[in-house]
Amino acid sequence: MLKVRIIPVLTFNGFGLVKTKQFQQPRMVGNPVQAARVYNSRGVDELLFLDIFASKQQRKLNMKIVSDVIRECFMPVGIGGGIDSIEDIQALLKIGADKVVIKTAALNDPDFVRKAADFFGAQCISVAVDAYLDDAGIYRVYTTEKGSLPVDEFIQSMAEKGAGELILTSVDRDGMMQGFDVDLVKLAEKNCQLPIVVSGGGGEPAHFTELFSQTNCGAVAAASIFHFTQFTPLDIKRELGAIGKPVRL
Amino acid sequence: MVIDYGMGNVASVQKALRFLNIDSVVSNDIMAIQNASSLILPGVGAFAQGMLNLRESGLIEVLHQEVMDYKKPFLGICLGMQLLATTGTEPHTCEGLGWIEGTVRKMEEPTLAIPHLGWNTVERTRESDIIQHDQVDCYFIHSYHFDVTDPKVVLATVDYGSTYVAAIEQDNIFAAQFHPEKSQDAGLAMLTQFFKKHA
Repeated sequence: MLKVRIIPVLTFNGFGLVKTKQFQQPRMVGNPVQAARVYNSRGVDELLFLDIFASKQQRKLNMKIVSDVIRECFMPVGIGGGIDSIEDIQALLKIGADKVVIKTAALNDPDFVRKAADFFGAQCISVAVDAYLDDAGIYRVYTTEKGSLPVDEFIQSMAEKGAGELILTSVDRDGMMQGFDVDLVKLAEKNCQLPIVVSGGGGEPAHFTELFSQTNCGAVAAASIFHFTQFTPLDIKRELGAIGKPVRL
Repeated sequence: MVIDYGMGNVASVQKALRFLNIDSVVSNDIMAIQNASSLILPGVGAFAQGMLNLRESGLIEVLHQEVMDYKKPFLGICLGMQLLATTGTEPHTCEGLGWIEGTVRKMEEPTLAIPHLGWNTVERTRESDIIQHDQVDCYFIHSYHFDVTDPKVVLATVDYGSTYVAAIEQDNIFAAQFHPEKSQDAGLAMLTQFFKKHA
């Protein structure tokens, strides 16, 4: 039976690891290579490394650090940050990335996702969808520009372009550790058949059991809970196992 | 020797081999293939592209000779397992290496997410030196599956809506749909066993 996945996320600012709240106030939380080593020794299901300022600062990924992170990992690793060309993806796969996470380029040029999926296979193309609830009660894709797309439309278009997986983050819940946005997950599930990695809001194991019991969610990505509490991915999986979810212990 | 034919993840395979203290080279050189003690065909991507790259690198004949005629130990991973089939269909029908009879087809699971992605239970269907447990969790990521004609070559299956082939073993050939190099201790153990068996 397919196991649910608990995926630690390393959010990087170009120098070190940071953790944001609602995508603001980045706080330094350590060294990415050390963190990757610890997560590998704990046998986590997968790891995500995202340079969350690369696109905004018009930087490319620091390939030296990315390759040092990947070298620590004997589990799948997804890498994101400023990826906007076939060459970017090729360079990452070459150093051992299993998946690339595309966000800004998918918004600016949705056909890039198709191009990438056709070239490398959908299985290694993840699309990050950062969503917030607007004042009218509609989930929209978070961008710095005005008039962003409704989330359901964007998800449908990404599925149609051949994305292999969505990484769905609630901006409202990011770093708040108050629980996941279950309604957002349900909306996403209604609009595509892709595997969805849910992120934003996990602060204690009960938040995870709530999410998994109310949705068909197969994977969660989290950071704050691992940086700021004593809970480990294994603790969460034990709780999920206790409510009957298939987990890898 | 890890065969480099422009289809992805040679780095991860080499990293795993290094971790296990197994010397390896990454190459697409015909002499190197002839001299190697064993061959690993990794691969991520589409079937037709994989065959095209093998053909354009001029590797199909030498691989056939080494693996099928001289029975050199061979390990195929993911696309590297699928390419052993007679026929592929991704994205269009085309000929495979034809070492293991069968067709690689798109997975059809109307109620499940495709690609089949994540950790799933590999269930051994017969005794083997390489897979040492009846059930072991390994990492899968694929949208196509190998529909093998002769069930006798199947070593392990995986359940994802339907039962799919997870691993094949026939004489000197071992091939996995999952990624041993990404399956932490469980996968590293299989790689160790493969090299022990064929030492």
